[in-house]
Amino acid sequence: MTRATVVAVGRLAVDYRLMIVLVAVSILGAVSVNDFVAFDTFQSVLNRATIVGLLALGLTPVLIARQIDLSVGSTLSMAGISTVMLQPMVGNVPAALLGLLVGVLIGAVNAAIVVWLRVSSLVTTLATLLIFASLALLLTGSRPVSSPDPRFGLGLTSELFVIFSPRSLLFVLAVVAMFVWLRYTPSGRRLYAVGSNPPAAASAGVNTNAYIASTFLISGLCSGAAGVIQALSTATGSPVAGAAMLIPAITAVVIGGTRLEGGRGSALATLGGVVALGALTAVLEFNGVPSYTQAIYTGLLLILLITLDRLVDGGGRKAVRTHGKTRAEVIPNPAVTRRKS
Amino acid sequence: MTQTIASPRARLREIVARLSVPGAIVVLLIIGSFVSPSFLSVGNLLNVLNANAAVGLVALGMTFVAVSGGLADLSVPANVAMGALITLGAQEAVGPIPAALLGFLVASLGGIINGLLIGYMRINPIIATLGTGFVLLGLSQLLVGGGIVYGEPSAIADAVSGSILGIPVFVWIFALTAAIMAPLLARTSFGRWTYAVGGNSVAAEASAVPVRFTKAAAFAMTGSLSGLCGVLIGLSNGQARPIIGTGYEFVAITAVVIGGTSLFGGNGSVLRTVGGVIAIALISNLIVLTGLPTQSTGLITGVIVITAVAVDVYFRRKEGRT
Amino acid sequence: MTTRLALQMTGISKSFPGVKALQDVSLEVRPGEVHAIVGENGAGKSTLMKILAGTYQPDAGSIELNGDVVSHWSARAAIERGIGMIYQELNLIPDLSVSENISLARIPRRGPFANFAAMTAHATAVLEELEADIDPGARLSDLSISQQQLVEIAKVVAERPAVVVFDEPTSSLGDRETRILFDVIRRMRESGIAVIYISHRIQEVLEIGDRVTVLRDGRHIETRDVEGITPDEMVRLMVGRSLGEMFPKLDLEPGEPVLEVDSISSEGLFADISFDVRECEIVGLAGLVGAGRTEVARALFGLERIDSGSVKVNGRRVNARNPRRALAAGIALVPEDRQRQGTIPQLSVRENFTLPVIKRVTRWLLIALGKERSVVADLADKLKVNPPLVERAISSFSGGNQQKVVLGKWFLAKPSLLILDEPTRGVDVGAKSDIHAIIGEFARDRGAVLMISSELPELLAVCDRVFVLHEGEMTAMIPRGEADEESVMRAATGQVTA
Repeated sequence: MTRATVVAVGRLAVDYRLMIVLVAVSILGAVSVNDFVAFDTFQSVLNRATIVGLLALGLTPVLIARQIDLSVGSTLSMAGISTVMLQPMVGNVPAALLGLLVGVLIGAVNAAIVVWLRVSSLVTTLATLLIFASLALLLTGSRPVSSPDPRFGLGLTSELFVIFSPRSLLFVLAVVAMFVWLRYTPSGRRLYAVGSNPPAAASAGVNTNAYIASTFLISGLCSGAAGVIQALSTATGSPVAGAAMLIPAITAVVIGGTRLEGGRGSALATLGGVVALGALTAVLEFNGVPSYTQAIYTGLLLILLITLDRLVDGGGRKAVRTHGKTRAEVIPNPAVTRRKS
Repeated sequence: MTQTIASPRARLREIVARLSVPGAIVVLLIIGSFVSPSFLSVGNLLNVLNANAAVGLVALGMTFVAVSGGLADLSVPANVAMGALITLGAQEAVGPIPAALLGFLVASLGGIINGLLIGYMRINPIIATLGTGFVLLGLSQLLVGGGIVYGEPSAIADAVSGSILGIPVFVWIFALTAAIMAPLLARTSFGRWTYAVGGNSVAAEASAVPVRFTKAAAFAMTGSLSGLCGVLIGLSNGQARPIIGTGYEFVAITAVVIGGTSLFGGNGSVLRTVGGVIAIALISNLIVLTGLPTQSTGLITGVIVITAVAVDVYFRRKEGRT
Repeated sequence: MTTRLALQMTGISKSFPGVKALQDVSLEVRPGEVHAIVGENGAGKSTLMKILAGTYQPDAGSIELNGDVVSHWSARAAIERGIGMIYQELNLIPDLSVSENISLARIPRRGPFANFAAMTAHATAVLEELEADIDPGARLSDLSISQQQLVEIAKVVAERPAVVVFDEPTSSLGDRETRILFDVIRRMRESGIAVIYISHRIQEVLEIGDRVTVLRDGRHIETRDVEGITPDEMVRLMVGRSLGEMFPKLDLEPGEPVLEVDSISSEGLFADISFDVRECEIVGLAGLVGAGRTEVARALFGLERIDSGSVKVNGRRVNARNPRRALAAGIALVPEDRQRQGTIPQLSVRENFTLPVIKRVTRWLLIALGKERSVVADLADKLKVNPPLVERAISSFSGGNQQKVVLGKWFLAKPSLLILDEPTRGVDVGAKSDIHAIIGEFARDRGAVLMISSELPELLAVCDRVFVLHEGEMTAMIPRGEADEESVMRAATGQVTA
């Protein structure tokens, strides 16, 4: 087996990683669990994956714009506790809306710091992760808050249209909306420009700051929605609800194929990643694997995929950075042509 | 490090940059003395240092990660937990000192794995360390079945919790480690390589610098130091839970950032990080003394990080324009 | 009847703190002409163009477009009034398609959605005008550099500019691609666009230019018709010296072989390359861009893989799998791209100088700063680094000085073989001859030099032998006596087989 063949196979594996993971998980599930491959399972998986899925969905435009948002978990917690704590004061629906607003506001804070204070998104969202996790603990006295009206959110997880639940339907609709925006609208296309080559986008008249700011707002909105839905579904606002969700969210996005370098990504791919990860989690749970062992598998999957990505990238497109600018150096696949450009 | 002898404005920035951390410490000390009469006592200050010496070790390693352009090591909590859990958990089987060594070694292994992934496989450090941290933390929980591990009283536990010449052993260990790390970064070839790799890794490679090794070593060191931190904490507390290291990575990164080192590489120093650790120690003490709840530490730390970086960015941009 | 000038810049002056970049410079460009601007680095070409692009404001002087004086000039105004700039660093989005790149500033809509059909049609039309054979739906990063440049040109031309400025457009292009570019420029000229062409490359200016303006030290020296100028005259105008004086001829007796390369191949890069370099010898590696010269150089230095064949240094077999091993074996490489591969910007000149051999100035694990400083001081003096402030960050030095550091840092390493990849590219003529002197001295000191240069006159003047590569294979070895531009070009374009 020549090196070229290995590289070609590896490349296929990376390009179709989503397919491969889904198939592998389905096989694993079918083998280890009774009646795994059924509509019921799909409904359940999708339902449970909604929360992490919303986080991953919000992360997608952020990564496309070459930023990162590590505060999504804390935002989820804040939105959740806000909703529950406000319920007795303003009523169920307004409380939910205010919870969403909290998410957007946190996104706005991130946006303001990144765009106005020019602090990198890594440092910014690392800090806001801390700040809002802390704030959540302070507001709730480090204890989960119970909702005064647990029946309100009960219906969110019930079955709807066979394969959905109200909340997972909401999630899928959000995915579709994001997909259409990214792929078919001028502003969506410009977002890719912003992440792919920011100075070039700017010289074409694209307001890169506005785009970057809006990705944080979107991420805040999605994390807020996740928090609200989570709180209503469990009738509890927990200050640490989102803490453990950051890595699964990033894993889902990475499984889907979105790159961290910006310029590439897709809402549908993220959906695929979310489903794949959700299915894997379900299989593990049905087999009685405890949550910390699940964490091990999730982490290993993330590392495996990223490593594979790297190994294969040697023959693909290499993006070269020069003091912040990216110059794409084209190195044709050696299996295809002999000459270097 | 390097002097840019250019314009008076750059010189001003240079001065501000050099004085900002010592200046901040002085300001904190002054504020503290107003807040509480016991603040400036030697006993209190030593206590404060003692409380932060362990996490300070992590910050020392994080400095190398930052200067080499490795951004951050987010697997620190897992390595700390590993260090603590194994140190205590293996005591019965192999005795306290070998157990401590084992804990240190396993955590170092975690650091080496990070190093291999990031230095040799060139994986994004944030993702890699998030992933390995996740895995290692899960492993550590698996090891103890999710509960608490208790250690037995032992000579080494006592030694670690004690004092020499009135100064806590923790502080000695931190000071000693800092005394080794500082010249390692500032005056050895490895240190020079670290700055080069953080400044321009492509040019560094073309200048025959072992780039992959340098990047990997930074993470390996941080893993080891996190393990050492865990070993020390485990021994002095006598017990450990998997969540023992939670938040340590943030404190370490904050210390580095407050000290004026950029996470993107090429500048900074161990001394600056030491200043950052002291600053953080004073701040958390102030929080306690002013009666603020401990959960607000995260809030205040986060705000300080953003402020510190924003100010640094502001000055850099101003200089760039002249 | 007077032809209205497309562009008239009159009396432009611009100063920066401590530097008078432009003094009373004027430029007149007619529609439908290719007007070249030549001058050394620091002559003021890029400042003048930045003023035209609206990036800088002139301290004095005026700009007229098509006879209208423009009172307030800005980047926005420049674009709106029809100035198109094409820089070396392409302003494109790698992850979007060709048509999206062309329409990026004004994406056509159909309701809330993007009108892809309209974008494709627009792109197809523009590309056809330029006779560029590029698929509008292709992802930009899948195209070659030359094709990407054509997309950039299409993007600019689509705005129907009155003036288009090319800033060193051929620096990453091979010969064939340059032909294509020139065809496109000619077409632009025919359609009435005023083309400004900035270049270091005298041959190109003589070929494509109608008139040429020479700048030197921020002043306008002369504007002439290109017809009738000789290269020598051009250089003299630019520099005040003649071509012959630029490249000193060395006469050294070559000694034993230092480098022996026997049939090395690297999959996808080059195949079956054999040559040798002897002591006191400067060997040139010629060929078109993409022929594999840089790849061979990098492979010798351990930055690319060698799949088969052998490399011997001073008679001993060498397997350099990374630069450290290569250096240990006595090979050093001065890379092509000084900024990206050559300097660590925030480190001082001293630290950059000693980086490859930092271990040699350490004693007892620590760097001996005193020794380091004295070694560096000697070196900076010998290389004429100006100003000799070695503690300053290297990023604050000029390109020529930076190149001296990039070159000089290997001298401390005392390699047996020095490989130079485009050592004087983008360097002004003064520093150029300094660098040649340095290379000559190295050779005289029993060193062996392998030099890659796309400037044939330089290569032919300096090298004892020239090996020519064509598409990854070696096609000729030409000794100095027989080497001239024609014979090298023939081998480089594959018209001769070894």
